[in-house]
Order: sequence, then C-alpha cells, then structure tokens
Amino acid sequence: MHRPELVTKLYEAAVRKVPSSEEYHSHLFMAYARVGEYKKMQQAGMTLYKIVPKNPYYFWSVMSLVMQAISAQDKKLSQTMFLPLAERMVEKMVKEEKIEAEAEVQLYYMILERLGKYVEALEVVRGQLGEKLTSELQSRENKCMSLYKQLERWPECNALSCKLLLKNPDDWQFYMSYFDSLFHLIDQGWEPPSEGEHCSEGEVRSSVAQAIAFVEERLAVEEAKETRPLRGPFLARLELIRRLRARGCPEEQELGEPLELMFQYFIKFGDKPCCISDLKIYLDLLTTDHHVQFINRLMETVPLSEPQDDGVALPGDTRALQRHLCVAQLSRALGLHHALDTTGKLDLIRQLKSHYRHGLQFGKSCLKTELQFSDMYCLLASHVYIDLWAETGDETMLWQCLGLLEEGLSHSSSNAQFKLLLILLFCRMGAFEPVVDLYSSLDAKHVQHDTIGFLLTRYAESLGQFAAASQSCNFSLRFFHSNQKDTSEYIIQAYKYGAFEKIPEFIAFRSRLNRSLHFAQVRTERMLLDLFLEADLSSSLEDNVKSMGLCPEEDDIPWTDMRDNRDLTVLTSWDPADRQLSEEQRSFSLQEELLWLKVRFLTLRLVGTLAVLSHPPTPRNAEKAAENGVVAKPDILRPLLDQLNTTLQNGAQFLERGVQYPFLGPSPTRLAHALASGSCHCQVLAFQLAAYVQELDAAALEETTEVQTQISNSFKSLLIQLKEILNKCKGDLLEVKEGQCKTQPTLLENLVFFVETVCVVHWVSCFCAGVLRPLKASLQKRKKKKKEPISATMVVFSGFQEFTAGLQSLFSEVLDHIKGQETSLTALKLGELTLEEVMPAGEEAFVKLAMDKLRSSYLRSLQELGDLLKKRADVLKSLKI
Amino acid sequence: MLGSKMTTLRAFTCDDLFKFNNINLDPLTETYGIPFYLQYLAHWPEYFIVAEAPGGELMGYIMGKAEGSVAREEWHGHVTALSVAPEFRRLGLAAKLMELLEEISERKGGFFVDLFVRVSNQVAVNMYKQLGYSVYRTVIEYYSASNGEPDEDAYDMRKALSRDTEKKSIIPLPHPVRPEDIE
Repeated sequence: MHRPELVTKLYEAAVRKVPSSEEYHSHLFMAYARVGEYKKMQQAGMTLYKIVPKNPYYFWSVMSLVMQAISAQDKKLSQTMFLPLAERMVEKMVKEEKIEAEAEVQLYYMILERLGKYVEALEVVRGQLGEKLTSELQSRENKCMSLYKQLERWPECNALSCKLLLKNPDDWQFYMSYFDSLFHLIDQGWEPPSEGEHCSEGEVRSSVAQAIAFVEERLAVEEAKETRPLRGPFLARLELIRRLRARGCPEEQELGEPLELMFQYFIKFGDKPCCISDLKIYLDLLTTDHHVQFINRLMETVPLSEPQDDGVALPGDTRALQRHLCVAQLSRALGLHHALDTTGKLDLIRQLKSHYRHGLQFGKSCLKTELQFSDMYCLLASHVYIDLWAETGDETMLWQCLGLLEEGLSHSSSNAQFKLLLILLFCRMGAFEPVVDLYSSLDAKHVQHDTIGFLLTRYAESLGQFAAASQSCNFSLRFFHSNQKDTSEYIIQAYKYGAFEKIPEFIAFRSRLNRSLHFAQVRTERMLLDLFLEADLSSSLEDNVKSMGLCPEEDDIPWTDMRDNRDLTVLTSWDPADRQLSEEQRSFSLQEELLWLKVRFLTLRLVGTLAVLSHPPTPRNAEKAAENGVVAKPDILRPLLDQLNTTLQNGAQFLERGVQYPFLGPSPTRLAHALASGSCHCQVLAFQLAAYVQELDAAALEETTEVQTQISNSFKSLLIQLKEILNKCKGDLLEVKEGQCKTQPTLLENLVFFVETVCVVHWVSCFCAGVLRPLKASLQKRKKKKKEPISATMVVFSGFQEFTAGLQSLFSEVLDHIKGQETSLTALKLGELTLEEVMPAGEEAFVKLAMDKLRSSYLRSLQELGDLLKKRADVLKSLKI
Repeated sequence: MLGSKMTTLRAFTCDDLFKFNNINLDPLTETYGIPFYLQYLAHWPEYFIVAEAPGGELMGYIMGKAEGSVAREEWHGHVTALSVAPEFRRLGLAAKLMELLEEISERKGGFFVDLFVRVSNQVAVNMYKQLGYSVYRTVIEYYSASNGEPDEDAYDMRKALSRDTEKKSIIPLPHPVRPEDIE
C-alpha cells in the first residue's frame, strides 16, 4: 500500500463493476481522501448518499467542499463558490429537519465561520441546533465567546465572561476576555439601556469601578473560604492593575499597592512550585528601587533555622524549603543575582549549594522517577556559575558547574533539566560523547526529535563524531518520513468519526512537519555525512550521489515557508525578562539557521554536480572533446557557485550584526566558525578550480592559456589555504596548567572544518584527474604524431602533480598533529590534579568525573577524524594522471 | 482543596505536541508516536484536554476515550494518559482534569471510568484513591520494561458513574488477570 494512487484506481474499477456497493463506494471515498482528491471525494460522497441515504455520507461530501475551499489557491473562489455551496447543502438539510448529529452542526458552524457569517453562526449556536453541541465541555459558550469577539459585540462578551467567571473564578481565559471587553466598552462610551436587560447575555459590568468591584467580590469569596483559596482572583487583581496602569487610570490605586499584593500572594501560595511562574509575569509592576525591599520582606516570612556553621540559615521542612526557593527564584528574575559582583556571586553559589545539599534529606524516600525537593537550588547555582563564566571567562566556573550538575544527577537521576544543561555545557566545551547517553536517557521520541533533536544534531558533526551524527540524523529522518503516511490514515478516521474540525488541523500539522527546519537540516547533513565518510573511499562519489537520489539541479527546500519547530525554551530559565529569549532573537536564530543551511545545501549540490559532470573517460570521448571542444553539459556548476558566494556574503553580513542569544536559548550555528576558519572560502576555491577544469575540458586546447594559468594558480592557492586552516587547528585541546584545566574546543571545530574541506578537495582532485588524464593521453598521442612540444599544458599537469604531493605532506602534518594530541591527552594525569584549593573535596570527584568524560570524548573525536583522514590519504596516494 | 489550578482549559490540538516537552520529559510520561495522538484526536477529541498557564506554558493534559459494550453495561470512559508538569504539581490540576473526564463520560452515559497505573507509582495510586477510585483488578506484567528490568504489574482502577446505581462495575475481582485477558 505504498502507492495510494493505485488504490483509487482499484476502487474506481470496483464501483464500475458493482455500482450499487456501499462498501466499494465508501472505500473509494477513503482512497480519494488518502491522496487529497477533494473534488472526487465530493462526488463520491454524493453518490454514496444516493445509494444509501445516510447523513454521514452527505456530510462527507459537504466537508470535501470545505476542503476544496481551504486548499484553493484562489481565495475568492473559496468565498464565492465552494463555501456558499457547502452552506446551501447544509441549509437544505436544516430546512428538511434532517440534521441528526453533533458533527453536522459542528460542520455548519465551521462553514459559517469561514464565510465570515458570524451573525448566522451565532444563531445556530444559540438556537435549537446548538443544543446538539454537548460532547465538548462549554462548547456553546466557547463558540459564542469567539463569535462575540469577531462581531465586536463587547456587551455580550463582557456579560458572558462574568457569568463564566462566577461559575469558575479560576478560568484565566475569561478574565482576559472580561478585561478586553471592559476597555472596549469604555472606549466606545457604552451606556446600558435605560430599561430591560443589558444584552442577550445578561448584566454588563462596563465601568472601571464595576470591574474593581467584580474582582474584589471574587477575592472576598476566596478570603472567606476555610480551604485553600483559588489563585485566579488574586492574579486577576494584578492583571487589572497592569491594564489600568497602561491606560494611565488613577483607579489602579484602589486595588492596592502591587508590592503589598504580591507579598500577600507569596504568603498564600509561596509554598507551591508554580508561585514563581505566577509572579514573574507581574514583576514589572515593581519599581527597580523596590526590588531589594520586596525580596527582604518575603525572606522575613520564610521560617529558617538559626544560621549554621557556614552562616547559612536552613528550612525545616519542604514547605519552608519551597518558600525559600521561590524567593531565590524571584531574586534571580528581578536581576538581583546578575547585579552581584564576583565575590557576591561566589557567596550566593555557596549558599545555594548549602540549601541544595541540606534539602536532600527531605527526599530520602523519593523514588528514582521523582525529583528531589531541592533540585532547583542546584539548577539555580549552575546558572550563577554560567553567569560568572560569561562575565570573567574563568573556565573553572564551567568545570565546577559541570561537577555540580553531575552531583545533582547522582541524587536525582530523572531530572531532565540537569541533563539538558549538561548536554549544552558539554557541547559548548567540545565534548559530544557524554551527550549521547544523556540525551538517550531523556527518552525523547517521535515529535520530540523535531522539537529538541537540534540539541544532538547541532554539535555531533561539528565536534567530529560523525558516526553519532549520522545516527542522530537517522532518528529524526525516520520520524519525518513516516509522517506523510501516518497523517493520511487519521484524516480518513476523522471523516469516519465526523471530527470535521480536525481535518484541516491534521493537514496543517502534516505540512508543519514537512516544512520543518530541522527536517531540511538533517536531510542535508545526513547526505553530507554519507559523502564525507564514504564518497571516493568505499564507493565512488557518483555511486553515492546516485544512491541518495540527489539531484543537484533541484532545490526542493521550502525556503520561504520554513517552520521553526525547535523548542527553544526547553531549558528552564529564571532570568529577568530582558535577558530571556526575545522574539527578535528567535527570528535572528532562524535567519542564521537558514543561512547556514543554504551554505550546506549549496555545498552538497555542488558536490553532486561534480559527480554528474564526471564522465567515464573513454578515450574516444576525450579525443572528441579535446579536439572539437564540444561538450553538451548544462552548466550548473557556475550558477551554484555564484549562489554559494552570495550566501557566504549574506552570512558575513549577518554576523556583522553581532547577534547574541541567551546561553540557555538557541546555540549559534557553525556559520561564524566556518567563515573564521577559512574553510568556506577554501571550498569555494576548490569548486572554482573544478569550474576552470571544466572550461579547459570544453575549450580547444590552443585557446586555453588563460584558464591553464588560473588552474595552476588555484592548485597553489588551495594548498596555501588548506595549510592556513590547519594552522588554526594547532594547539592543545585540553591543557592542565597550575592545577587548572583549560579547553580550546575551537581547535577541534577547526579540525573538523579542515577534514570536511579536505573531503571536498579530494572530490575536486578526483574530478580534475578524470578530466586531465584523457587530456594528457591524447596530447601525448598528438605529440608523437606531430613531434611538436605543447609546453603550455605541461603547467597544468605538473601543477596537478605538485598539488597532490602537497596534499600528501599536509596529510602527514595533520596526522602528526592528531597523534600528538592523542598522546598528550592520554598522558594527562587528571587523577593527580589537586583541586582542593579551589573546591571542597566532595565536589572534586564530580568535577574529575566530568573532566574524564571530556578527555575521553576528545580522544574519540580525534580518532574518528584521524581514521577518516588516513583513508583519504591512502586513496589520494593512488590518484595519478 | 481542588481547583487552585488557575488555568485555561481547552481542547488539545496538534500544535500542542510542539510545546509539551516540559510535561513529557518526565520519566513516567510516555511520548507516543504521532498516530496514537491523531487517533485520539480523530475519534475522541472532546476527551483530550490541555491546561495552559497564564504565561502560555502547558501545565498538563488528559487523554482518554469512551469504549465498551453498552448491552453488557461495560460502556465506560477510559483514562489513557494524565500528566502534569513538575512545576504545576500540588495544585489539584490532575484532579480537575479527572473531574472533566468523568463529566464527559457521564454525559455519554458511561457506567464507570477506569485507568491503569503502575503498581509502584504510589503517588498516583493514592491520588486516584482520594478521587474515589478503587482497585478493580491487578493486571500482571502489563507494563513491559526496557533496559533489562522486570515487567511491571498494573492496577486497573475504577470509579462508578451515576448510571451504575448499584456500583456493580467496581466490585473487585478476586484474582489477578493477564494482559491478554483484558479487553
């Protein structure tokens, strides 16, 4: 069943044979649904209904009209033809009183809503038909609310919101719609009618005074309760203050002083883990000079012991712990942590760690799957370490942070936040090996490959772990490839069960996955990785390109409508609002990802072009080409090369903006390092060389003096540029100096760029050899015949030989460097490193654990890179012309 | 004690799958394949409800279905998944979501609501007991374990709805059953 279009053919034949078969016709309908043939579905539905007059069949046909409207390119056609037709079809059933099911009313509503006929939709929902809307809770109310907003019927919106809030004073969406309607009514100068009902939904509370009274009544109810009060009304008060303040309404003060109100909120709900999420939205109501005062007041209410030996006062139970933790989180959210100097931050870390370790006693009986009560202290302290590192560049801070998180994980093995932050830190320090286990213990599956898969794929390859990188891409690719099949099946089910509103939703979902940025990235990187690891080693570049179905002429990435499905806030952050990931940064990050993807995709297509251009060098062909200068090949190399150059320029321009992302937000792409390492330009030069050689191949030899010079110059510059990249890889990855560990992950990243570039140069060399070899042979023949020396071409041939010899010595140099690094890493005696001066003995073990992981990872990267280079060096040795 | 969730409760949609990491990175919360979620959304959309915090974060969700024979008085609501993000726990949100699922099942004329829970998940078992659920039967090795640990038993817990006036549906079975014996 991999060819659904054949299934439609099958059932078309079946219904021709048995025209009255309900079964075959309904199968035919579903077969059309699978391939999205909406028009045929519409007809098939009607045919079915005529054979067996069951309502669902009729409405299948109606829904297929709606789908034609949704999918139509011409939106006018949707509004003037498909939807009105669908509407009339339903109206007919209404008039004949044939409406049976809730799904049918639901569909009617959908049609009217899409037609913008909100008044009519409202009549349906509020009328007799609306009584069928019962499955979903508050279905009628929610639909009415949405229609009132569309129709700007603010009195009704206002009255209904209040009614629903009286029923459930905790439903946040209705506070929002109440306040929205309130200010609209005020702006309109709305006055209640002198007599009769305010509106069809009842009483309207349309003045600020009434709104304040309404919120205060809800509060009074909560205050009078014996049980724990609801949070809704208390937060609604803060929300109302914010909105009044934004409009400059002095009545704001009647609700109270935000500092006092937030203090009271803390008293009531400070022992709930969500207190921080609730209050952080309203922290901007406090003036900066009140921040410290606010925190001090909260702290005074937290029951803590007398200070211990280390001067830290500790909570006696989990409730006190949670309150204290909340104050710490609020301090951070107010920027008070950031304001501390280095000593202050170190002291803060000391206190947080003390609270963390002390709090572990409350969770002694916790299961492996549960979090420790004090885990978030550990995370907070880690964040302060990262602040310190960012400020001072002192790498010790990162080491201690790694150690602390390892310690945290040893007590709370299910804590996803610890794992996520460890992943980020290891990657930033150049170590991918530990990430594999950490990520796999998160048990991220299916859609999570799309939302957090970037954590793996961003660094695996760039840190030289090609095997793991390949595997990471495969996890994601498998998910994306099953999407098409999976979703079609459930679109059909939605028809069967009459879940009509889900059909466009499923289709949008499918498209969101197909247009996923991550999908395009893993597809591209997976192909590049395959080529780096195999092409012209175990099999030829041409075979590789062919087997992956890469067509260099084609650009099949939906650049203009790419969906960024990354979950960029998956790492918890309590940073102040101005340090959180902004919408602008999000959009910059997407821009950067797209630029880098374009670079990679163009590189891939250029490599594919080399494979297409390489032709089997049968002597006859070569002779002909050389003599006639006729080569009928579409020139795609140059246009692609131009595009790559433009993209690299755009990339450089983007980097000039100096966009920075929050540490816990998206990582920058490889773009900046790629440009700085020189690898992009070296690759451009290599492709340029291929273009020259192609030109040489196409032209008559006598007219090629200029291009021959360009070719031999390119050979020389390529060697020089490769050497320059290699120089940027020299130095120690991990160094121990005066009891301190120092890493230089950039050296590793540069080495990976070197290796990738060497691969490209290798393929270009093979391409050159393929062209030059027959050329040389035919020249030698001519030479014999005519007995005249054609000295000019010798420049190219000898240039090629010098080039390959130069490559060989570069290979020895880089392999020596790798070997040297491996030896010194292995020789490093981390065990003997004394860290006591900088940290207590208990922490040392965890820091050393992290160091060991880092070293092991570096060694693995070096080994993978070294192995690949050795293979390429061996093959290059035999490359002769 | 219930209801201090302060939340927007709404129907779960496909787009929520991109936002539920804070809930699903919990070790006891399974992330299913796309077909599984789509099946529930296509068949029982009203039974898939998500709670959203004022800041826009997802707090938790419940996913369920209606199944069983009416004639044999086995028509019931079933809780397939219920999960709340760590920072939104201890607010009674799970209880509120259960209450909604029970209400929907009442409207559909179900006889009871049932759910499966790991025998080891004492926190959850106690919560369900507090909400009026009792162990109807034990299902042996219902949860297949990965990484070499033994398979785990499940409790099948039930709560009678108003249609089951005599509460016949929740009389405990005397013996445990095997997974292949349950419907």
